[in-house]
Amino acid sequence: MVNTNKAILRVVLVLSYIVLIGLVVFGISALFSYLNTGADRSNMLHTEVKKIDQYLPDIEWSELNNLGREISQTTLNELENDYLDAWYVKHVAFMTNIETGIDDYYTESARENIFNIIALNKADSISIEGTTLSHQPTLEFYSEDGQLAVITDRNVLEFKRIYEADKMVLETREVSTYKVLMLLEDGFWRIRHMVKEEVAPYKDEIDTVKLSGEIKGINYYPQGSPWDLFGDYFDESVISDDFKLIKASGLNSVRVFIPYEDFGKANVKKEKLNKLKLLLDLALIHDLKVILTLFDFYGDYSVLDWTLNREHARTIVSEFKDHEAIMAWDLKNEPNLDFDSRGRENVMAWLETMIDLVKSVDEIHPVTIGWSNAGSAPLLKENVDFVSFHYYDDIDKIGETYTNLKTSIEKPVAITEFGLSSYRGLWNPFGHSETTQAEYHKIAQEQFKNLEIPYMSWTLYDFEDIPREVVGRLPWRKNAQKQFGFINVDGGKKESFNYISKD
Amino acid sequence: MNYKLTYLLLLGFFLMGSSFLPQEIGQTNPIIQLNSDLEFTAGDEIQLKFSSTSKTIPKLYVSNSYGSTVLSATIEEDALIYDLTGIMGNKSGIVNWSFIDSETELSGYFYIKPKATVKSLESYLGPPSIQAGGTDFAMMVIIPTDELDNPLQDSTLVTINNQFRVSEDSSEVPTRNFLAYKNIYSPERTGRILIGSESLGVTSKEFDLNVLASLPANFSISERRNHMYADGNQIVTLTTSEILDDFGNVVEDGTFVEFFISTINGGILKTSGATINGIATAQIIHPDQADEWTVKAFVKGMAESNSISFVFQQLFNDFEVSFSEDNRTIVVGPLKSFMDQLIPDGFDVDLAVFNGEEQIQTINKQTLSGEASFKLNPDIFPEGNYMIKIKTAGVEKIYKSRPLW
Repeated sequence: MVNTNKAILRVVLVLSYIVLIGLVVFGISALFSYLNTGADRSNMLHTEVKKIDQYLPDIEWSELNNLGREISQTTLNELENDYLDAWYVKHVAFMTNIETGIDDYYTESARENIFNIIALNKADSISIEGTTLSHQPTLEFYSEDGQLAVITDRNVLEFKRIYEADKMVLETREVSTYKVLMLLEDGFWRIRHMVKEEVAPYKDEIDTVKLSGEIKGINYYPQGSPWDLFGDYFDESVISDDFKLIKASGLNSVRVFIPYEDFGKANVKKEKLNKLKLLLDLALIHDLKVILTLFDFYGDYSVLDWTLNREHARTIVSEFKDHEAIMAWDLKNEPNLDFDSRGRENVMAWLETMIDLVKSVDEIHPVTIGWSNAGSAPLLKENVDFVSFHYYDDIDKIGETYTNLKTSIEKPVAITEFGLSSYRGLWNPFGHSETTQAEYHKIAQEQFKNLEIPYMSWTLYDFEDIPREVVGRLPWRKNAQKQFGFINVDGGKKESFNYISKD
Repeated sequence: MNYKLTYLLLLGFFLMGSSFLPQEIGQTNPIIQLNSDLEFTAGDEIQLKFSSTSKTIPKLYVSNSYGSTVLSATIEEDALIYDLTGIMGNKSGIVNWSFIDSETELSGYFYIKPKATVKSLESYLGPPSIQAGGTDFAMMVIIPTDELDNPLQDSTLVTINNQFRVSEDSSEVPTRNFLAYKNIYSPERTGRILIGSESLGVTSKEFDLNVLASLPANFSISERRNHMYADGNQIVTLTTSEILDDFGNVVEDGTFVEFFISTINGGILKTSGATINGIATAQIIHPDQADEWTVKAFVKGMAESNSISFVFQQLFNDFEVSFSEDNRTIVVGPLKSFMDQLIPDGFDVDLAVFNGEEQIQTINKQTLSGEASFKLNPDIFPEGNYMIKIKTAGVEKIYKSRPLW
């Protein structure tokens, strides 16, 4: 009996020992395999580094005439990508004073130079927000084994904003020439040596373009798709009918908006360009001129976003600069409203850069900025070709405001938005009636006629629904915005329609 | 030289600018630059001095080849001194500066040249092996850098030496685009080229470059057999001559040679081998009936051999067949080889059974002790008359009507 019990005890002990060891081994192996998941060996080869558009400065290679071996276009593209990425990671590093990313684009000895400066800046709480807007590289040398290349990058347009303790102290634009030696190391072209060879301050030489013809226009959205002109509801026949109506009412131009994100940001969508072309063609058929307002619903302005913004504008402007229906480019609708949230200097520097870009692509059509009030209108008056502002104040003073502004500005001045909502209801029981609205437009037209003011009214239609992005969620704002039109939601002409133009 | 000219022009431009700027702004600009040094050497003490009547001490923005920063001044004898020695002064290239001060619109730039001494010669040689014959080459690239890791100024002389067997060659190459390079062309013989370089008294380590044989030239082939009989048993060995390139170098080991054999019936047989010390060998078994082979070898796309032919003789022209056990057991043989010895085991014998015109079955057997025996199964071949064809070593015997029961 005793022996049997002993045997049972032994077996139980041995079995429980085996089970325990089994559990421990299982636990360790589960932990081990968990720690080994996620890392894919193929990552080591960088075979699949996904390319997203984050940095697209203008880059224009000079004709290939290098020493050493002939380079293939594919290799040159790889070199270009890595070279631009090297600039990008450097901008980010100097902005954040963090070394991330530098290792991938600078060789071991070259990255020290950057780390030293970052350490210096970090100690003095200096940060530098910078970007480069254009490059004109020349390939000087490409070695026989394809592992080493030298380029001279001329006319590098650098923009830098220096912050000391989070306060901006300097904004600078420089045009530099760099000579750069790059090595192909484990799949990346890395910068080995970089020497600044020339530098000059940036001078923007702007030729003013004259605004031709008088502006008697209107801001346009179709009734069915306000703030979504180029969306799914885009309908040629609707636009054609509207343009016919606008022309018949005595007007000669429309102002339309190009939403930045909807058009695809830096990669402008072909489909959107086609729609825009249809719209411009229709305008031409109906003998209307078009002011295209770029960057609608855009509000970042950060320096590292600039090259993407420029790519967007360059695509659209170069596509349509020769279209006969174009009257002018309005760079941005009411950018002064972003001064508080985005910083005045950010917005102003952005505008300046974008004006330069648009004017460098299109030398024929004038450029303006649609400021939201007369007070902001003189900003950047040296840079734009004509000044435009929006007027929603007391209509009796519209002439006076215009005249005051005109005396201080030598360039043409236009009012590209004005109007009055005829909303009267729950959210604003004492709002204006349709008669008051008509009276408003009557006075406006009289002033325009007397003082020869170029104008564009807001807007052709009353709308049933206003997207939240336009005026926010507040019902009293939304409802007021619905009834600025000359034609009501049922398609009937409101009293104000009689005063849509001065004729 | 061209670079120097541009640089002088830039200097001139700057001098004009700096002498002109303070005057223009006149009273509003209280800061005047005191030192007019426009060229410094990397690693030296680099200071910008200004006299100032202003009460505030403005900071200075400086930007070199790699980045930008902001410097504060120290004051010594009423002069503002901005010290760039160290991080901002160690890298060669243009350094531009400007005051961070709304009152002072003073800016300028100067040049930091690399030290004139070499610390290291960064060398790159590629590709690591080239082909003999004087058309292929490798490129030796040398980047001389100073002790602060700046590439030396253009036109620094670098001596590139290379040695092969008894010949030694040396050339002086001025740097351009930070580097000096030389194409080293292959000699006509295989071997190893040793390369070294020297600049301003500093020497590089030794690099070696392998010279491999060039493309093979045409060659010849030969055959070797134990006998000339078509016994289907012995092996023919095909051998190339020592394959050389156009310059007499033995081609690299492993050069792949393919042998194409055309038979008398127009068939093609193929065998292959890779070279060792220039010689490739391939083997193939004898045919089992009289034949004439024509052999030609190729190194695909590069070289070919002469063509050789040789004959295999028939072993026998007739053989014995015995029928037994209701004619269902058929024994072929004994088959005899060229000296009347029994043929080695494994010689093919084919037997085909026909019922009228219709072929019912073909049976293949190999000989064992000189004989091949066939058994015709009554389940497949019921009683009746059959035609039986027996073929071996290309000889066929036909029994037109054999009764099986």
